Amino acid sequence: MTSDRWPLARLAVHGTMIVLAFVAIFPVYWMVVSSLKGDGDIYSSRLWPEHVTFEHYAYVLDAIPMLGILWNTTLMASATMLAQVLTGLLAAYALTRWRFRGSSLVHGLVALSWLVPFQVTMIPNYVLATRLGLLDSLAGLVVPNAAAAFAVLVLYNGMRGFPKEVVEAARMDGAGHWRILWQIVVPNLKAPLAALAVLAFISAWNEYFWPLLLIRRMDNAVVQIGLQMFMTQEGNQWGAMMAAATLSSLPILAVYMLLHRHVIDSFMRAGLR
Amino acid sequence: MTHVLDAPVVLAPRRRLGLRLPIAPWLYLAPALAVIGVWIYWPLVEAFILSFYQWNMLPTSTPRPVGLANYENLLTLPEMRIAVRNTVLYIAGLLPLSVVLPLAVAIVTQDLAGPLRNLYRSLIFVPMIVAPIVAAVLWRWLLAERNGLVNQALAALGFSDVAFLRDPDVALWTLVWITGWKLIGFSTLLLSAANASISPAYVEAARMDGATRWQIVRDIRLPLLSPTILLLTMMTILFGAQWSFVYINALTGGGPLKSTTNVFYLMWEYGFQSLSAGWSATAGVLTFAAFGLIALVCLTLMKRMAVYDE
Repeated sequence: MTSDRWPLARLAVHGTMIVLAFVAIFPVYWMVVSSLKGDGDIYSSRLWPEHVTFEHYAYVLDAIPMLGILWNTTLMASATMLAQVLTGLLAAYALTRWRFRGSSLVHGLVALSWLVPFQVTMIPNYVLATRLGLLDSLAGLVVPNAAAAFAVLVLYNGMRGFPKEVVEAARMDGAGHWRILWQIVVPNLKAPLAALAVLAFISAWNEYFWPLLLIRRMDNAVVQIGLQMFMTQEGNQWGAMMAAATLSSLPILAVYMLLHRHVIDSFMRAGLR
Repeated sequence: MTHVLDAPVVLAPRRRLGLRLPIAPWLYLAPALAVIGVWIYWPLVEAFILSFYQWNMLPTSTPRPVGLANYENLLTLPEMRIAVRNTVLYIAGLLPLSVVLPLAVAIVTQDLAGPLRNLYRSLIFVPMIVAPIVAAVLWRWLLAERNGLVNQALAALGFSDVAFLRDPDVALWTLVWITGWKLIGFSTLLLSAANASISPAYVEAARMDGATRWQIVRDIRLPLLSPTILLLTMMTILFGAQWSFVYINALTGGGPLKSTTNVFYLMWEYGFQSLSAGWSATAGVLTFAAFGLIALVCLTLMKRMAVYDE
């Protein structure tokens, strides 16, 4: 291309990407740096703390049950992820394996459910959760999200490409559907399954609205709500706020650092459909 | 149990046994359908019913039927008009950040290669995985009046302070920016991937015919990118205003002077702050109907406009 011959264009390309990367990453960097600054230093625009201090972290860990909150979120996100993968697998298997009366209607209803904004159904959902005694509980966060249109559709697309002959051969050998699903289909779906698991975990971790309705006490909070409560309490205690925000991002940032290529691929795989 | 896809044998035993329903597929579908039915479709029906009632959400009180009064009230309420206008502004403001800019970047950087490319990709994607509330908190700090880094930078350049979250003329755009900040990387990656998958043969052929760089972009790249462009546009239109909810709730509460509220925030205010469940449900039904219509139009346009590389 032209840019190979014209170094200035190449420079412009890198310049664009550097600006974009800076805009993306700097706020996160500034959050971490601010959390490490002492109170005397916090309002300076210095890009690195004069003295690194962990006092804000100590304060946060003391002021709110941060570790418990992180544990709650991990538990909630893992359970949601597992449930969505499981219900998605079963539903996608039914939709790809059989042609039955109503199958396209079911497919349509599942896809359409993605379009229903949560705010539209929130009051009936809240009433139902209250009746079922799910208020202020982690189970209440997981149950309504135990199935997702997105999971069904991603796995449906993954399974559709699966060669029928293989399934036929297994059926000849006398394998039932349950065994075919777990021993033949699932092992061949590693890529979409991994992608879905990563996505479901991250989106459950980042879920905001439903916990906002359901969770009342800091002990039962997930990070999104814990942080929100902390923000209302502490107002402009910027150092403490940034320490809390950093702590609640650490697990997900660590996952990302380990798996970044994979995480990006999963988001794109999902987005491209 | 022989209802394997495309197997004509299925019909024979079925006819003999009369109306035998295939049970197995429904067993496999049951968990997903139960969750979606109980937590999405049934509440949707209930919300529709509730839109004809007045109710303050207290378990001790019974909803009172009011006919179409909720609809009449909402449609004439100035609050609703502001919320609708702001919803449109949120979406319009997000489109440059979620489609136009990423598209430009994807085209400009099409032949970026090597290890640096992966580094850029990993970095620009970070906002996507940062939790929305964390984004809210850290931008609140960056944009803080007087001591925030952005205002310090503005002061250094000789500008006066901007009250990013308290000035009615600026607040909505601040929230649009924060919402968009999380999306730029994702859109850029999606469009770059689509751009990279365009066969170089087309570009080569066009160049042989003497096409300029711009002509190649206009006549080859843009049409072939159209499915991805339309997908991102549709997602922004349908979900953009919902994505900004967390920032409205955490940063401005819909203010100042209702300047940052939108229909989704209005539903939340009616439902859980002023406890008028009927109004909230009515706003929900109207919003859902409007966005359903928009989705239908988008899908039709997408089918008609998208160009696929067969």
